[in-house]
Amino acid sequence: MSAADAPNRRRRDTWLIFIALSVFTVINLMPLIWAVLTSLKDPRDAFTIPPTIIFEPTLEYHRQVWFENDFFVYLKNSLIVSAGTVLISVPFGSLAAYALSRIPRRSAGPILSALFTIRMFPHMLLAIPFFVMGTFLNLIDSYILLILALVAINQPFTIWLMHGFFLDIPRDLDEAAAIDGCTSWQAFRIVILPLARPGMTVAALFSLLLSYNEFLFALVLTGTSTKTLPVAIASFGGEDISSWSLSAAGAIGIMLPIVVVMLLLQRYLVRGLTAGAVKG
Amino acid sequence: MAPLTIRQATKSFGAVQVLHGIDIDIQDGEFVVLVGPSGCGKSTLLRLIAGLEDITTGDILIDGKVVSRLHPKDRDIAMVFQSYALYPHMSVGENMGFSLRMRDVSQAERERKVAAAAEILGLTPLLDRYPRQLSGGQRQRVAMGRAIVRDPKVFLFDEPLSNLDAKLRVQMRAEIRSLHKKLKTTIVYVTHDQIEAMTMADKIVVLRDGHVEQIGSPLELYDAPANAFVAEFIGSPSMNMLEGRVGEKGQSFITAKGVELPLEAPPPLEPGRNAIMGLRPEDIRLGAHGAPARILLIEPTGADIHVNLDLNGDQLTAVFHDRLELTEGESVGVAIPADVVHFFDVETGERISS
Repeated sequence: MSAADAPNRRRRDTWLIFIALSVFTVINLMPLIWAVLTSLKDPRDAFTIPPTIIFEPTLEYHRQVWFENDFFVYLKNSLIVSAGTVLISVPFGSLAAYALSRIPRRSAGPILSALFTIRMFPHMLLAIPFFVMGTFLNLIDSYILLILALVAINQPFTIWLMHGFFLDIPRDLDEAAAIDGCTSWQAFRIVILPLARPGMTVAALFSLLLSYNEFLFALVLTGTSTKTLPVAIASFGGEDISSWSLSAAGAIGIMLPIVVVMLLLQRYLVRGLTAGAVKG
Repeated sequence: MAPLTIRQATKSFGAVQVLHGIDIDIQDGEFVVLVGPSGCGKSTLLRLIAGLEDITTGDILIDGKVVSRLHPKDRDIAMVFQSYALYPHMSVGENMGFSLRMRDVSQAERERKVAAAAEILGLTPLLDRYPRQLSGGQRQRVAMGRAIVRDPKVFLFDEPLSNLDAKLRVQMRAEIRSLHKKLKTTIVYVTHDQIEAMTMADKIVVLRDGHVEQIGSPLELYDAPANAFVAEFIGSPSMNMLEGRVGEKGQSFITAKGVELPLEAPPPLEPGRNAIMGLRPEDIRLGAHGAPARILLIEPTGADIHVNLDLNGDQLTAVFHDRLELTEGESVGVAIPADVVHFFDVETGERISS
C-alpha cells in the first residue's frame, strides 16, 4: 500500500464508523420517534398496518395531556419527589463516600459490597416491605415515604460513584488542610468537596433521572394526592385504544423537563464521567 | 521558633512496631535531618510530630508543651509534602494564605503576609496562577511559601526535593538552607538522600528499622560513625568494609581473604582480635609499596576518578582527586595512611574506639 492510500483509508474508516453509529442511534431512538409520531396522530392513523407515514398531525392529545388531565399537579409531585431524593442522596452519599474513601480498604470493602447487594434485589421485592412499613407508619400516599424509598434504592449507586471520585483526591490534601488549621469537617467542606464537584454533579443527575422516571415504587407507595407523572400517564392509557395517542403525548410531556435539565447540564455530565480518567 | 523534644516515642500499626523508643532533642532554630533507608520509619516519625499519625507511647513536646495528643492544627507546625499537596482549586495566593484564613487573620494582614512570603521566594508574579499552571520547581516553592507564611514554631519537610530533577534539586537545597538562615525556624527534614542530609543539616539523625543509629553533626557522623551501618550509609561512594583480624604484631590488618595490609598507626585493639575495618574511598593511597591489588574498573567523574580494586577477592572503591595514570587490569600497591581507619565489632557492628 502506498503512502497516498492512507488518507483515503482513514476517510473510509471514518465513514464506516459514522454509518455504524447512525444505525445504532436510530435503533435506540426508534421507540422515541414512534412515541412522538403516535402522539401527533389520530388513534385511527396510529393503529393502521402498515403504519401511515403521511398523516394529518394533530396537537389535540398534547393539549389534553397538559390542560385537561392535571398534568401540572403530577409534575409538581414528580418534582417534589425528585428534588427530595437528590437533596438527601447527594449530601448523605458524599459524606458516606468520603468516609469510605478515607478508611482502610479492608474496612470499606465489606460495606461497599453490602450496599451493592441492595441493588441485586428485584425492586418488587423491596417495594413490598416499604409498603408494609409505610402502612404501619401511616405514611402511604406521602412524599416522604416515596422519597425515602427512592433514596434507599438509589443511595448505593451514588455512594459507589462518588467513592471513586473521592479515592482520586489525594489524601495529602486532607493532611495539608489539617496542618493548615482545618478540622476534619472544614477540610472536607473547603478543600475536598469542591474537588469532588464533578462526581457530585453526575451523582445528582443519575439520582434525578432515577427518581423522576421511577414507576414501581411510585405506583405502590403513592395515592391520589402524591401520584407522580409516570404513574399518572400510565393510567391515561388503559384498555381504550383511543387513549394511546394520549399516553404517547403524556410520555413526551414527562420527558420534556428532564431533557431540558440534561441539555443544560450536559457539559458537566460529560466532564464528570471523564474526570479522573486523565490525571491532571 | 521553638525546641522540639521526642521522648521514648513508639509507633505500632496493628502488631507491627515501626518505631522503637525514639529519643531526640532538637534545639530552637536547629535544622535536623532524619535520614535512613526506605522503611526505616523516618516519614512515620515526621508524621507523628505533625500529628498525622497517633503516637502509640511516648511524648512529643514543642516549645516545652506536650502536643502528643493534639490535632495537627493545634500544634503550630507547617509541613511541606513530597507531593506538595497544593489545593488545585485555589490560586497560588489563596494556597499560601489558606492557613491564615483558617486562623481568622484579617484579609489585609493576610495579603501583606502572603506578599512578603512571595517576595522571599520569588513568587510575586505567580500569585494569581493555579497550581496546574506551574512547573515542578514553582509548585515546590509555593508549598514552601504556604509553610513560611504563618511563621510556625516548627517546619516539617517530607522528602520535598525527590520529585525535582537533579539540577533543580541542588538549587532548591541551597534555597531551603538560606531560607533557614533567614527565618531561623526549627526544621525537621526527612530524606533518604545522604548527600541532602550532609549538605543541609546542623544535626543528622540516622534511623534504621525504627531505631536511632546515631545523632550528630554531618562531620561527626562522617568522621566517627557510631557503627558499621552509619559508616556505610553516610558518604558516597560508601565506606569500604573489610572483615579480618589485627596482625600479631599490631602493625597490620589481615583480611579474611588473607591479605596483610600494613597500618601506619597501631590500631586501638589488641593483636589477633577479629574486627571489621572501615576505610573511606578517599583515604586509600596507591603506590609501588603496600598490599598488592588489581585495578578492576576506572570511572572518571570529571572532578574525581573512582577506581574499583580487587584485593585478593575483596572489592575496594578508591577515589582520587588527582588524574592518576592508571589502566584497568594493572597491579598496584594499596597503602593506608595513619589515623583514617575505622574499626567495628564483628558481632554488634559497634565502633571500637581507642
